[in-house]
Amino acid sequence: MLPFAAMSRPIPDPSVTRTTALRPGPVGLLGIALSDVWSRRQLIRYLVSADLKKKGRDTLFGNVWWILDPLLQMIVYVILVSVIFNRTEEDYALFIFAAILPWKWFSSAIGDAITSVSGQDRLIKQVQFPKIVLPVAAIMAGITQFAFGMIPLAGLLLLVYPDRISPTLVLIPLVAVVQLVFTLALGVLAAALNVFFRDIGNLSRHALRLWFYMSPALYGAAVIDEIAATHGYIAASIKINPFYPILNAYRSVIYYGSAPDWIALGGVLGASLAFLLVAVWFFKRVEPTFAKVL
Amino acid sequence: MTEIAAPAAGQSGRLPAIDVRGLGVRYSLRLTRKNTLRNSLAQLVRRDGGGGGHFWALRDVSFNVVHGESLAIIGPNGAGKSTLLQSMAGIIEPSEGEISIRGRLSSLLTLGAGFDQELSGRENILLAGAFLGIDHGEIQRRLEDIIAFADIGQFIDAAIKTYSSGMRARLGFSIATSVEPDILLLDEVLATGDQVFRAKSKERVLELAKGAKAIVLVTHDMHWVTEFCNRAMLIEHGHVIAEGQPEEIVRLHEARSEESRRSAGTPGG
Repeated sequence: MLPFAAMSRPIPDPSVTRTTALRPGPVGLLGIALSDVWSRRQLIRYLVSADLKKKGRDTLFGNVWWILDPLLQMIVYVILVSVIFNRTEEDYALFIFAAILPWKWFSSAIGDAITSVSGQDRLIKQVQFPKIVLPVAAIMAGITQFAFGMIPLAGLLLLVYPDRISPTLVLIPLVAVVQLVFTLALGVLAAALNVFFRDIGNLSRHALRLWFYMSPALYGAAVIDEIAATHGYIAASIKINPFYPILNAYRSVIYYGSAPDWIALGGVLGASLAFLLVAVWFFKRVEPTFAKVL
Repeated sequence: MTEIAAPAAGQSGRLPAIDVRGLGVRYSLRLTRKNTLRNSLAQLVRRDGGGGGHFWALRDVSFNVVHGESLAIIGPNGAGKSTLLQSMAGIIEPSEGEISIRGRLSSLLTLGAGFDQELSGRENILLAGAFLGIDHGEIQRRLEDIIAFADIGQFIDAAIKTYSSGMRARLGFSIATSVEPDILLLDEVLATGDQVFRAKSKERVLELAKGAKAIVLVTHDMHWVTEFCNRAMLIEHGHVIAEGQPEEIVRLHEARSEESRRSAGTPGG
């Protein structure tokens, strides 16, 4: 399919024909997307490392910010909630840190994914390559950031809450995989939509903020029960949110030292995989128009 | 035995490197550029048929380029020259018709489009190679040649944002021509860089052309057309107007643009 893919191979006469008749169906598109990502994994790797380099280069502390950022955010919320609003949970700092860390990964990955395609307009008009690598690389770059977040988490556990250290901590990557699938699905979809509607970028900042407050990050089950007593629909929407089981799972393995709710987590994984298929299909479906619209 | 092999080889040699048949590229005006939700909603509410039109950037374009040939595409601004190159490069899909490409293709549309300002020249070579789909080992092998030809010197490890536009163009040219393509698509890139590099790039293009490689060139520089190309094609408003000897086509193009200038009463268009 790709004229350039042939360059590296010693095929003497590769040929390609493009016509309007060659429009693969949904399954065909998903297959192409999969082979796009696999055959261009080196490109994804370069894009990820370029992204990380750039993020570290601008500031004095560089990548140290990946460690400081979640810590400072945690301090802000500890002051806001436990001092100003005077509502607290036991070991509140760890309670919210277990949720802030994955949320920061999610929100920054989505923010980067949204502009990943529309920001490369010049390139897309000049070079033929599978555009799906752009949102995928943007989201993969976030994993490193999340991994760096394990450093302040370890520090917090070792120095302040040594009693909370439990073997369930090794389950963190498992929960992260579920989150990654969901993030990929949403990121790929949002990246494609933002090509056609630039408002997505503006809207997303507010949507993500509201989403954070509607997720059990700063509060737990007790608060949700309180909300349910007065505003039933809000409590219900908190519970159908995919970040309800995801953040609860992180909190189980980090804060409570118990196994996550496997059934809820498995449900999110299944739904996210289905969502990912739809998102990738949509992306591939509209991909040919990117060069014309941008 | 040789009699059996010979026709097969001869046949593949006769097949054109680029074969374009009845190509049409349509742009939907509804979807083009800087759409916002507000516009879409307004269109939904108004339901006026006028806003949802489309525009053919190219229509009924047929031609072929055989190996060893270099074709110049000329025409006024907005005639569809760049769209045609983008279609051949696979960047834009045809809305109707067919394009067949036989051979390894490389396009030098605008040089350095994929450059990342924050990365060094060396990192950008690797990144551009990955975007072009050249495998890692091959680009590593060619790295020193690319750097040498671009003549960037010790700046190769400095961020691209510190480069002059000439340096950037040289690096882009060097990457794109390093792959030894069978088919090279060039868009107005030859006029970049200083005198020395221009001579060098001209030499490289001639060298590529000599190696039985097909070249398609889009340019406003009529000098290049007559000097370099053995065939030219004039397009206007997305249609092929004429095709033939470069001198002839250039003369026709100049006569037609002179005429349209006079009838419009204003220079350019």
